[in-house]
Amino acid sequence: MLSPMEHLHPTAFFIRGASPLARLAFYAILSIILIGVDARLHYLTEIRQGISVALYPLEVVARAPVDAYNHVSEYIHTQTTLVAENRTLREKALQDSENLQRFNTLQAENAHMRSLLNALPSLPQPARLGEIVHSGRDLFTRKVIVNLGTRHGIVPGQAVIDEWGVVGQVTAVYPLNSEVTLVSDNDLAVPVQVERSGLRAITGKNSSNSIGLPFLPVNVDIQPGDKLVTSGIDGVYPAGLAVCNVVAIDRKIDAPFARIDCTPSAGIGIHRQVLLIPAAVTMQLLPASPEPVDKSAAKSKPSGKKPNAPRKP
Amino acid sequence: MRPASRKSVWLTLLIAYVLYLLPWEGFGLLMRPDFVLLALLYWMLRAPRLCSLGTAWVMGLLVDVASGSYFGQHALAYSCAVFFLIQYHRRLVLFNSLQQTGQVFLLLLVSQLVLLVVKLMSGNELPGWSYFLSSVSGVLLWQVLVITRVIVAENRSSA
Repeated sequence: MLSPMEHLHPTAFFIRGASPLARLAFYAILSIILIGVDARLHYLTEIRQGISVALYPLEVVARAPVDAYNHVSEYIHTQTTLVAENRTLREKALQDSENLQRFNTLQAENAHMRSLLNALPSLPQPARLGEIVHSGRDLFTRKVIVNLGTRHGIVPGQAVIDEWGVVGQVTAVYPLNSEVTLVSDNDLAVPVQVERSGLRAITGKNSSNSIGLPFLPVNVDIQPGDKLVTSGIDGVYPAGLAVCNVVAIDRKIDAPFARIDCTPSAGIGIHRQVLLIPAAVTMQLLPASPEPVDKSAAKSKPSGKKPNAPRKP
Repeated sequence: MRPASRKSVWLTLLIAYVLYLLPWEGFGLLMRPDFVLLALLYWMLRAPRLCSLGTAWVMGLLVDVASGSYFGQHALAYSCAVFFLIQYHRRLVLFNSLQQTGQVFLLLLVSQLVLLVVKLMSGNELPGWSYFLSSVSGVLLWQVLVITRVIVAENRSSA
């Protein structure tokens, strides 16, 4: 029986070219070289940025129906939900106003104390409101894409927060959008501090929706319900932002470290809007000597040790 | 069946790529079939002259750019899956549609396994079993397309 596909691949005994295995080997080696170059040497960032700009129209096309659906559903949002939301927001505003009144006084007091101590003034932080465009397409990482990029002055290393706490950190910036690694991603480490006891730690070993605190001894002073806030010693996150709450502690006698699970405080995966705050001022470790300001300042900076540290202050 | 043209191959791949670019979230992201690989497998089965290992590699690179992962990861995975298809192409075109679906499932799994190995080696943690849901949904999509006669890759003599 003659197949209708017979004409598509004629008897090709002599025009085969390289064997499939040879071709696979070629492409596999090429892929592995690319992976190595991209992962270790970071030569391909510009190429990636270029391609991502070229692909931007395609992304807009792909997003259009979903955006339209969101607009429509927002439009027909029922009045009752809006009224309820309005009431809760008003209550919250009332509660916040009390704190806010004290905040002004405290800020003034703080500024005064700092000037007394001759410390660095903590600059007012202008933050940018970004909108989450879509979540990352890679199943292995927990990232979101935000609609602000180098065009809007975003630099890698900026912290991203919402009204409840730290959402994550900007890890890659493209001209028109940027990639935010969430605090629950396995690769992101945030220097934190237990609010109750002042104990410092670094998050890590995160799994799908929980944050871990590795390398803390079994007898560490930590309880379920403890609130972890940013310690501010990394120069990325301003101090005192809520990161997560301790949920469970597993103290095994035979294990060297306690297993601590926390849930992120920020509404990861709930919001569409997030705040991108500029990296905190990099502090000089030593007070600069009066004359050779440039040299000593450059040397005293913690250069290669912190992967999270921003490139520019 | 109309003979395939180069234009239709690229158009299908473009549509598959746009489907990949849709803003998938949560469970949808987990269940997202690998549209680009499905399109590649289909055209490799039907018109291996128009679509080669190189096409798979280039599409893999584009997927890498869109997913924000390192260059070459998806490219390697797609190349491996398509390589097995080329290797067993003579046999595959003789299968009936159900047998072909089984083979497509295996090829999707090959691609996911290669990707898994590469990801693990570059420091990602092991995802749960739900990681393989994408292959299941992919093969379901393939079967739906076969039933609705959108794609006809099998040998007609058995139909």
